[in-house]
Amino acid sequence: MGSLSIHARGQSFNVQCPTTTTLHPRNSITPGAIKCQEVSGGDGFATMADGNQIFLFGFGPLSGLADIQSGLPGTETAAVFNSTSDKNRALTSVGDIMDTGVMNAESPAPTMAIDEDDEFFLTLTNVGMIMRPDLFEQHTIHFHGYPNASSYFDGVPDASVAINIGGSMTYYYTAPDAGTYFWHCHISPPEHLQMGMVGQLYVRPRQNRLNSRQNLYDALLNSNLAKGSADGKLCSDILCTNETPVPVVRSPVTGGKKYAYNDGDGSTQYDVEYPIQIMGFDPNFHFVATTFNPEGFADMKDKYYLLSGRGYPDTVNQSYISTEGADGKSRPSQPVRSLIVINKSGGQKKALLRISDLSVTEFTTLATVGIPMTVIAQDARLLRDSLGNNMYYQTNSITIGGGQSADVILDATNIPTGTYFLYSTNLDHLSNDAENFGGQMTEIHVL
Amino acid sequence: MRKFVSAVFTGALALCGQVAHASVPGITGASGNPVFKLTASPAYISQPDGMSIYSWGYGCASQPYGFQPFTPADNTCPQMQMPGPTLIVQEGDMVTVNLTDNLPAAAGNTSILFPGFNVSTSGGVAGLMTQEAGPDTPVTYTFTATTPGTHSYYSGTRPDLQVEMGLFGALIVLPKNPPVQCAAKGDFSLSTAAYDNPNTCYDREYLFQFSELSLKVHRQVEQQVLANANHITAKIEPYHPEYFLVNGRSMPDDMDANYAPVYPHQPYNGNPHMHPGDLVLMRVIGQGRWQHPFHHHGNHARVLARDGNLITSQSDATNTALAGPLVFTVPTVSGQTLDAIFTWTGQGLNWDVYGTAPHTCSPAPGSNLDATTKEYCPDHMKPIPVTTPDKNIVSNGLWYGGSPYLGSPVGSNLIPGTTEINTGGSYAYMWHSHDEREITTNDVFPGGMMMMLLIDPPSLPIDEQQ
Repeated sequence: MGSLSIHARGQSFNVQCPTTTTLHPRNSITPGAIKCQEVSGGDGFATMADGNQIFLFGFGPLSGLADIQSGLPGTETAAVFNSTSDKNRALTSVGDIMDTGVMNAESPAPTMAIDEDDEFFLTLTNVGMIMRPDLFEQHTIHFHGYPNASSYFDGVPDASVAINIGGSMTYYYTAPDAGTYFWHCHISPPEHLQMGMVGQLYVRPRQNRLNSRQNLYDALLNSNLAKGSADGKLCSDILCTNETPVPVVRSPVTGGKKYAYNDGDGSTQYDVEYPIQIMGFDPNFHFVATTFNPEGFADMKDKYYLLSGRGYPDTVNQSYISTEGADGKSRPSQPVRSLIVINKSGGQKKALLRISDLSVTEFTTLATVGIPMTVIAQDARLLRDSLGNNMYYQTNSITIGGGQSADVILDATNIPTGTYFLYSTNLDHLSNDAENFGGQMTEIHVL
Repeated sequence: MRKFVSAVFTGALALCGQVAHASVPGITGASGNPVFKLTASPAYISQPDGMSIYSWGYGCASQPYGFQPFTPADNTCPQMQMPGPTLIVQEGDMVTVNLTDNLPAAAGNTSILFPGFNVSTSGGVAGLMTQEAGPDTPVTYTFTATTPGTHSYYSGTRPDLQVEMGLFGALIVLPKNPPVQCAAKGDFSLSTAAYDNPNTCYDREYLFQFSELSLKVHRQVEQQVLANANHITAKIEPYHPEYFLVNGRSMPDDMDANYAPVYPHQPYNGNPHMHPGDLVLMRVIGQGRWQHPFHHHGNHARVLARDGNLITSQSDATNTALAGPLVFTVPTVSGQTLDAIFTWTGQGLNWDVYGTAPHTCSPAPGSNLDATTKEYCPDHMKPIPVTTPDKNIVSNGLWYGGSPYLGSPVGSNLIPGTTEINTGGSYAYMWHSHDEREITTNDVFPGGMMMMLLIDPPSLPIDEQQ
């Protein structure tokens, strides 16, 4: 099976990240790479925009710590993950895992990002919930939207296994087709998701690896042929598994840039990307969770409306937010920044917003004023019909509910410099609990 | 903590002593000119928390002409059911629906709307949205079933109250000319395709009607009816439902059999089963007043149509190429229907879903999938590339067969005392509302809008009569 890097075992912690696999042997020219990430499942605290500390169940980083703190995804190559000194290495000894992992839950959970053709080894280590010694919660990871998912790695505890406190489970995924997915715990979802066990996850297209001499259309056609399409142009099954219909007319566009999907015509090209996760907290529910009492599901109502773990104006805070836990120790709690910057004088024109929704109570409409949105994808699939016609549409808002995702491109080419807004037009979502201005809003700086 | 109802799960599912499955059961009329004699009646429906809730629903005024795809064991269609009887007709049929008002006097008139069709009426009394049935005045609706697909019907009289009370149902229109390319009809499928279009072939079909229920509203109505009020005045807003239903039932009841005798007024279930490679037609209806993000684990689905309107490509003059989006979550819309195709093979996992015990994989010509099992042959005999956690440090789910592999001998890796009901080693996927609050039954988790899709190993027969 190739050399498997097995780290020191303690209790039943077992962090797995092989340096080679059958699919990616040593010095291989196989596309993609072996990527790894480790997260803790436990509890923690976060700071809301009105200053309130709120209790969380959550996932925290046990690898990629420096990247996470910078607001980046914490997925690393096997070499970095297995390193003994890299600031993004994985914590694998019992002592390191417990010293760091206990109460280090973050909101949102550590971001994950992989590339098509990668293999992804994702270890979940259950460090227990210190604030709830009455609970023996398991946790799982559900890779939401993973196509042709196996039941075993789908993370639904009723259908598979869930790791107990003091143990690790390594989930294995081959990278699915490029797009914006997300992930979350699936133990008692009305409770664990409300309490904060939600995070972002996306897959970059192999089209990103093309250079400026390689034609996008030809590359997509060849990729389709390799995956089973008869003529390379159209999909071989109704779900377009591992395939994308080529554009109706062959495009002369070549690669060398960043794309959201294998579009074959450069139409999903962008300069900067921002994952935005719509979510919310019910402060009463979170408070009751600290008191060892059963929380009421029927009365659940979010009052803190958040984008990637923060309410405005914290959404535009360019640093990570720290929160002091019940043990008096301050830890990074909300690392993801949502301030969107399009630096036209630096040559940037287009921003890709990878929007995912993990609200557990209601739908949300997110709108822009001044910069129209072009919606290019929904649920990690390019909006294109089965013959190759692009079905993108321009709008000022998108409406999505929990469990959905959308990819939106903001094009600042003809937009004057200035500050614009991305905000929820569900005006009651523009609050931080009783503080009546805040919530699901962030700024778009066109420079 | 939350109240855990695992005991209720196993109890409910052991009821009939048989495994429960689903199809799209309903009633039919004579070919070309089906006549349905419906009535609107009150009855109590049951919920898994033990509640009996006063509700209204459409039902059969007399023995229906027929049942499809099979006749229930007791050969009856009740006078009240929630949802109402699924009416199954063919494209081009001239459909007649007679409606009598069997609701308590205080409820007043009732009626039926058939959105998407040109309806003529006779009899009845004039109402705001359509001709209505009064307590002694039946009404007749007629229309031609012009478009195939999944449609809804519901009350057009005080709909904010009557739809909430349960007066809604589904109308399925089968295509007149299902394409010859489609595979032979399944034993319990209504047709071979959803539309007259070769891209809409399916092997199995399931109907999911989503609705909410507010105990406060139903109790108000019940009290006023019992007090012989002249006219029901129910305070509906602020609307705060505690029950979230799929086909009138909450989890785990929705996974019991169709026509299960313990739910005399909730005959339909939500219990999808399939084999790998099956094309599963999902007929989805938003029957209540809220949207629900219906997340079907396991794979994407291709949206075929909304409100019975097939979505086809603008650059195809023959209108056959599909243009609907691929979704992993169907946002149900109040009053809207949606048809989508779901399938699954486990392709691309880089390990063999059937495990490493000896078995064969022979790809069909021009395909990577085994002709029978639909196994993805390029991954044949590859083991899972990680060390799985020791069985003593994990908790096993009720639907976990004991092995990560499909169809593996059950109980092979379970510690003694583990309860599990997946005796075939199927793969289970939760199909549920992703507004997680809605997978509860009045504060009890698990419950509400939740089901499990079972992908059964190819050798396990699926009996959709249940």
